[in-house]
Amino acid sequence: MKVLFAKIAVRRLFVTISVVAIIELMTGPAGSNSAPVSGFKGSFVESSSFFGLFRAQRWIVFFGLALIAWVVASFWINQGTQIRSRVRQVIAVPRKATEKSFVRRGALAALLFVAIILPHVETAPFWQAAMVEQIAVYVLLAIGLNVVVGFAGLLDLGFVAFYAIGAYTTAWVTGALPTPALFHHPLNPFWAIPIAIAIVMAAGVLLGAPTLRLRGDYLAIVTLGFGEIVTIFANNLYGITGGSLGTKQIPHPSLDVGPIKYHWGITPVPYYYLTLVFVVLFIIVFSLLERSRVGRSWTAIREDEVAAESVGINPLKYKVMAFAIGAASAGFAGVITASQLFFIFPSSFTLLFSINILVLVILGGMGSIAGVVLGAVLIQTASSYLLHSPPSGYQSQDLYMYLGALLIVMMIFRPAGLIPSRRRKREIMLAEVDHEGHLDEVLGGDDL
Amino acid sequence: MSDKIFDVDAVSLRFGGVVSLNDVSLHQNRGEILAVIGPNGAGKTSLFNSLTGVYQPQEGTITFFGRDGKPMSIIGRKPHRVANAGVARTFQASRMFSAMTTFENVKIGAESHHGIGVVGAMLRGPATRRDEKRSDARTNELLRFVGLVEKANTISASLSYGDRRRLEIARGLATDPEVLLLDEPAAGTNPSEKVELANLIRRVRDDMGVTILLIEHDMKLVMSLAERLYVLNFGSVIAEGSPEEIRANPAVIEAYLGSTEEAGSK
Repeated sequence: MKVLFAKIAVRRLFVTISVVAIIELMTGPAGSNSAPVSGFKGSFVESSSFFGLFRAQRWIVFFGLALIAWVVASFWINQGTQIRSRVRQVIAVPRKATEKSFVRRGALAALLFVAIILPHVETAPFWQAAMVEQIAVYVLLAIGLNVVVGFAGLLDLGFVAFYAIGAYTTAWVTGALPTPALFHHPLNPFWAIPIAIAIVMAAGVLLGAPTLRLRGDYLAIVTLGFGEIVTIFANNLYGITGGSLGTKQIPHPSLDVGPIKYHWGITPVPYYYLTLVFVVLFIIVFSLLERSRVGRSWTAIREDEVAAESVGINPLKYKVMAFAIGAASAGFAGVITASQLFFIFPSSFTLLFSINILVLVILGGMGSIAGVVLGAVLIQTASSYLLHSPPSGYQSQDLYMYLGALLIVMMIFRPAGLIPSRRRKREIMLAEVDHEGHLDEVLGGDDL
Repeated sequence: MSDKIFDVDAVSLRFGGVVSLNDVSLHQNRGEILAVIGPNGAGKTSLFNSLTGVYQPQEGTITFFGRDGKPMSIIGRKPHRVANAGVARTFQASRMFSAMTTFENVKIGAESHHGIGVVGAMLRGPATRRDEKRSDARTNELLRFVGLVEKANTISASLSYGDRRRLEIARGLATDPEVLLLDEPAAGTNPSEKVELANLIRRVRDDMGVTILLIEHDMKLVMSLAERLYVLNFGSVIAEGSPEEIRANPAVIEAYLGSTEEAGSK
């Protein structure tokens, strides 16, 4: 027995079967008070389909899946490096092409075109609404958080606060709060956009100036607190925010400047285009910023704060700037949400929401705008799909379980995200190398 | 009295009960290559950190005479303000922005005295582009000066020790300093790199007119390079003078060098 277990392949099989048994339990039927072990029993004996090929008891199906996973994993572990290098050879030519700026611009233009015609291709009301509420808004939030987490390297666990402030500012400006409107005269939500962005940026400075002196874990804890404080204020300041019942109805935005007259109605598509315009604007501004002196200073602070100070960079100033700039897009996302959904409630601005945005950024690739946009689009599309047509046995609260599993897998196999930022990838590699070790080997693969 | 650049007066620095610097007084003249030597734990790096605003000594004053010769107190100022006033430094265990290229490392230094201009950076206006061009040119110039042009696009983490020192010196010079503080520049370098380094340091002073303050363990290097030395031991200055005077000073020999033989072999 001991000899058998010493074999790594056998141990791997054992681990695979254990993991699969846990998955069986998690996805199986729930027990009840009267029959507490029925969930446990049901997880293994209930019948289930094997890729639609045949039906069998769950334990047989899952055992089969475990064997397949084991074979694939063993194959990958033995042959993985060769396969990877072969794949790298094959994609070398198309990869080289992506470095040419006209190819990149062409691809971006094509993507923008797809984004523009999308609402005309997908006309189902559910998906049109999801495009705004579930995808575009999350893309905005992800690119904003990316400035803070990805560029400046500050872990912000309370990003939802800026989104909430943006949304409540919209309600305030339009007179939808119990408290009098900002200018004692309700404004149209369209004019809430600049006001909300300004207020949210100011909130970023106010939160950032005292707290960004802290480093690492301490900062994360403080931002966590800030996120909670905003939600609790929204919930408890009944006379100002409307409390847990939420706001009064927020009107739809409309634009009436000279010859340009437009009214955003109840249908989501116009909001989609409004958001798209701002997404493109924010992407352009953020990527220019990344490649500017400001972006380089953020990188310097992230990599070595002491060295950055020694060349005259004021870390606090740049960190506060990252907070305020990142918050701007969250503020705008708040305006869109508030004006499209009529009402806002404190219960939509939770810690889980902040975590969700952070997951999009991490999965997509911290510090890479293309990465976080892709991450946000993919994850949010998938979760909308699960909401729209849940597979049997799926419950909406399971989402975070699967996201968590995905996160674990990604961190093992692709820690720098779907589309990694080059510099971030290098930083992760350097951190893994035991200082001097085989540095050239690691850096050799990175064609600069 | 000659033109001073640093005037350190009765500085004491304590960490809890540990006295790191004890009533240290010293000064440096403009254009001088000054060395601070002493055994490990003598307080050399603490002195550097006090001179650059990283540590805040509890007693005494440190005055820096900047570009216009106006006195400025270092104590109480943040490191980045000290750096902007004209004090550049390198670190004992070299601190680079490791995932950046050599060029980018130096460029960050060169950019430090341009205005921030977030809006300019967002819109990439003409002023931003002009600044950028200027710092690119300055970076290239400095890479040529320290001899790292061929390695401009190398990731700095894969540079040799010798090259890292050059990079740090170039990055420090990029900030247009009045004085450059070098914390053990020769540590980890081989003999031929040491000779080149000594030449480079001399050129920094002669060609760029930057005052040099250095901490070094390598006696040969220090004695050939420095015009004047201070010897620290247990946080106090125990001797001051020219290399010849220091070599002959019995207190120094006893406290630090142990024996003249060891000094020769180091």
